[in-house]
This record gives sequence, C-alpha cells and structure tokens, in this order.
Amino acid sequence: MAKREVSDKTILDEFVEDFVKIVEKHCKYIIVSGFVAIAHGRSRGTEDIDMILEKISKEQFVKLHNDLIKHKFECMQSKDPELIYTSYLMNHTSVRYTRKGEFLPEMEIKLAKDSIDEYQLATRIKLPFTGLDVYFSTIEMNIAFKEEYLKSDKDIEDAKHLRIIYKDNLNEAEIEKIKKDIRRIRIKDDANRTSRAN
Amino acid sequence: MTRTEHQEQIERWANYVRENPDKWKKELKPFIDAQIIMARRAYAKLAETEEGRKKIVLLKNH
Repeated sequence: MAKREVSDKTILDEFVEDFVKIVEKHCKYIIVSGFVAIAHGRSRGTEDIDMILEKISKEQFVKLHNDLIKHKFECMQSKDPELIYTSYLMNHTSVRYTRKGEFLPEMEIKLAKDSIDEYQLATRIKLPFTGLDVYFSTIEMNIAFKEEYLKSDKDIEDAKHLRIIYKDNLNEAEIEKIKKDIRRIRIKDDANRTSRAN
Repeated sequence: MTRTEHQEQIERWANYVRENPDKWKKELKPFIDAQIIMARRAYAKLAETEEGRKKIVLLKNH
C-alpha cells in the first residue's frame, strides 16, 4: 500500500495558496511583511497576511471580489465591492477577507499606493525555501521595510530571522537603496499626511 | 527570559531553520496551527455571547 503523504503545510499556507489562486486570475499581487518571515520558519503567530495588489480599476476589482465570493471568501468591511473599492481601497485603506464564516486567518489587501509599491510588484519573486507557490516581495525589500519603516520589536526580529536565513545571499546595496527610497517617498508622504490632518 | 536570551533564541532557531530546510516546517506546523485553532475557538465562543460579534469587530479593528 502506498504510504499516505501528510502535508507539512500550515493553516496559513493553505489559506494563502487558496486565496492567491483566485487573485492571480485577475491581477498582479505580492505577499509582504510578517508572513514572509513566518513562511521562512520564524516561530511566531499571526492572524493576518498582508497582500498588495497592483492598482486595478473598479471594474477589475468588482470581478475579483465576485470571484472571491464565489470561492467562499467574504470581506469583513462590506458585501458591496463598489463601496469597498471607493471608500477603502481608493483611500489607501486596507480591507480584510476571510473564509466564509471564519474569523481568521485574514487576508489584508490594499492597492499599490506609490512608486515603492510599484517597484515591489515589478521585482516580485517566488521563494523556493518557503515551499509555497506564491509571489512575495523580495527579501531585501522586506528587510528594508522592517528595519527602516515598521521598526517594532517584532519587525526587527523578523528582519534578523530573514538575514540569518539568507546570510551570504543578500544584496546589501539594494537594501540601502530601498531604505533611502522609503525615507524619500514613504516617510515624507506620511509626514505630509499627518501635518494635513492636524 | 531576558532580552538577550530572547535574541539568542531567535538566532539559534533561525540557524536551525537555515541548516535544516527539510525539517523545520514539520516542526513548526503544530505551533502555527495551534495558535489559529485556539484563536478560532476563542472567537467562536465570543461570537455566541451577547454583543460578542460587536466585540470581535472591535478586536479586529484594533
């Protein structure tokens, strides 16, 4: 009798792969941030996975949303895809999808908002070490964001973990270039938003 | 565990993962899955209570 294969894939892995199978029919995407570290063996939990989509039109998003609904996912913010697009995604606010009737895990999606996100999408990569058939932003990008922008203890530890996994294979010049772009574009933009809000 | 010990533990585990690409996933899976299963159970219990669903929305938006 053939030996039954038991999958090593976690609940998070299966959720991500199922979600991606639908998204990739409609647009370009990347998985970023915490799940990148977890998919490389970082031993910490998370309830949400962050995904950035290329800047798609409302019509494209409505088709994507309807396909997700057809495959038993649901959006926590609203059932109305036009409202999700105009009230959330167009305002750079993320929305969250779960499997229907389940509270977690969640896929937190947002649209690309600036040239850094466009660069992340253009340089996206599959990472064989994870055993997952999904696109991630590059390891250099994730390290740069965690060390330069997000900066919480958890993020610094994620970056440390990735640095050890990819020791001797990291492009430090690329990490520095991305950090410079983050300071020039993202941090400056955040400061402008804060001053406008005040 | 002190901060230094915590940092050392992170390094030890990351080195183990790097050096054992065929083993780490099987070892990590129960830990990752257990957190999701336990959180799902807690949310399901909370959802059964009065105002439970509202509380979940608040938790999720926090």
